[in-house]
Amino acid sequence: MSTRMITVEGFKGELALRLPVRALLVCGLLTLAICGVLTWSLVTGSYPLTTAEVWATLTGNAPSDTARTVVWEFRFPRTLVAFIVGAFLALSGAALQYVTRNPLADPSLVGVSQGAALVVVTVTVLAPSFGFYWRPVLAFAGALLVAALIQAIAASRRGGETLRFILTGIGVAALISSFTSTLLTYGDIDRAMSALGWLSGSIHAAGWGEVRWLFVTALICLPFVFTAARPLSALRFGEDVATSFGVRVRLARATLITLAVALAATAVAAVGPLGFVGLVAPHLARRLAHSGVGVHLALTALTGALITGAADLIGRAAFAPVQIPAGLVTSVIGVPIFVLLILRTQARSQL
Amino acid sequence: MAQRSMTQRRMMFAATGLWLCLGAVLLAFLWHISVGAKSVPLGTVWQALVAPEEGVFDHVIIRDLRLPRAIFAVTVGAALSVAGALMQGVTRNPLAEPGILGLLSGATFAVIIGIGWFGLAGTAYVPLFAALGALAGAAMVWGIAEAAPGGSTPLTLILAGAAVTAFLGSIQGAAILLNEDAFFNFRVWLSGTLAGRDMDTYRWALPWFVSGLVAALIIARQITALAMGEETAAGLGVNTTRIKAVALVSVVALTAASVAVAGPLGFVGLVIPHIVRLFVGSDYRLVVPFSAIVGSGYVLVVDIAARMVLAPIEVSTGIVTAMLGAPIFIWLVRAKL
Repeated sequence: MSTRMITVEGFKGELALRLPVRALLVCGLLTLAICGVLTWSLVTGSYPLTTAEVWATLTGNAPSDTARTVVWEFRFPRTLVAFIVGAFLALSGAALQYVTRNPLADPSLVGVSQGAALVVVTVTVLAPSFGFYWRPVLAFAGALLVAALIQAIAASRRGGETLRFILTGIGVAALISSFTSTLLTYGDIDRAMSALGWLSGSIHAAGWGEVRWLFVTALICLPFVFTAARPLSALRFGEDVATSFGVRVRLARATLITLAVALAATAVAAVGPLGFVGLVAPHLARRLAHSGVGVHLALTALTGALITGAADLIGRAAFAPVQIPAGLVTSVIGVPIFVLLILRTQARSQL
Repeated sequence: MAQRSMTQRRMMFAATGLWLCLGAVLLAFLWHISVGAKSVPLGTVWQALVAPEEGVFDHVIIRDLRLPRAIFAVTVGAALSVAGALMQGVTRNPLAEPGILGLLSGATFAVIIGIGWFGLAGTAYVPLFAALGALAGAAMVWGIAEAAPGGSTPLTLILAGAAVTAFLGSIQGAAILLNEDAFFNFRVWLSGTLAGRDMDTYRWALPWFVSGLVAALIIARQITALAMGEETAAGLGVNTTRIKAVALVSVVALTAASVAVAGPLGFVGLVIPHIVRLFVGSDYRLVVPFSAIVGSGYVLVVDIAARMVLAPIEVSTGIVTAMLGAPIFIWLVRAKL
């Protein structure tokens, strides 16, 4: 099957990219859909605004102070956070899937989200005065520790087999969640309640602070992720093949897992564990358009952003005034796709 | 002759073990009652149980508050452990357990929906709904696993269980958010606890427990054959379909009883049968009763820990069983898969 390609040249032909046309089209469509969700998200809520009013507010002539506060302080940062977090989780899932060669890898399924969550809940309950900006760093440390633990347990017998990796992750996730629950019982009731809301993955409390730290993480991590597209496409064929292509497999694996953990941990620190986005987005992206790894990563990020943005919107609009946390919506959407994947995966051959 | 004396020795061994375990469980039972906000000496506990006196404050506490909780612990521990043993035997899956294979979450979901949507507050309905939910959860997990390429391997079963649990959990979470008042009392129950249930609920759960346990004891012999493989069992003259059906009914009834009393207590059914098999081997005529006894003792001790470790704050029993059970799950994944 041949895919129609388009070649983009720059620097007088020294840099050339061959891009599949269909993937570019899908990219454009996804971006349009994200803009649609953004608009819809900005006009929906308990304080009704028309599209024109929102546009006026965004361009600087707010019709009223309330409109400015509602749009700038609540809806806009919240929607941005939803998009960025979705993209992060999706990229994290994609990186994990490529590196472990496991179609079922997902940050929340392999315990990474729970590790970050435990750290954040510990800080929220035991040391609430601890700096806001330190939370993602701590979450990263916790998540990295859990990822290392799972790798160590899963890999020490008969090589790092992918399915044992997932099962170990389920076990470790259960263990860590029980520690988190204990902290919730132990802690002060108000703090425990706020931690509880956060644990089901809710975006409603997100503000510009979260946007800022997510943005910084994006600046640091995304260049690495997209430069890693080349080693990733080699790793897809297995470690031996990758080595013969001249990829330093151990270094690439370690870097990519660290990146995946960093992205997931930052996302979790901002909004809590959102399940199944990282699992579903890479597969949907692959269905939407065939492409190389680099373009696939871009598509994955856009798909993840769209899913999470839509989930947040559904969660707050479907049963208004009650807000359903986005994490619950992503699970309800994600699980059927997870089941489809189980039905398609040659589970036995990998065991 | 040598054969016979072997059997006799094994019987002797089993009988001694049985009495030892029963003694240990009784001790745990008394200890469980004596521990609490006001600790009561074991002598008084014994007195309160054997010859209660009206008007003695400690005796009233023990009979009205502490004794029911200890009885719940015994029932739930026995029910979950026997259910786990049956599931591991029938599916020949070392990781089978009501929690991991979606029965607990199905039962919990059904109870929550039954109360929230149908407004069934009557305690009689709780075990019924739990049973229907457990059955539906098991059917979903089995259906998914069977449809997967390679059939229902331990791996596909566990993945399907995780999927069903996550799905039901999030719908349940949304249902609770939408009607917080109706579910206020269920928040703690949802994390698996022996606190705050009344004897009325227990009375309705008891028939389910007893029938499930009796069924399990009756089919224990045939389970031993099934655990050796379906062909072997059929060759030994076991009607595998019928035994499997009875085992399913028994597992569902036991799960329903324990969910009605204590909510979802994970990992108990996973841990206990493995420990029991270490000592008594793979004869289910021994595995089933020993699982019941050891499981009771285990949940009693876990519940003591749940009340004492962070006292005066009480941790949900389900949290402690997960803390102890998850490492064993991980170890089993490493050792048996």
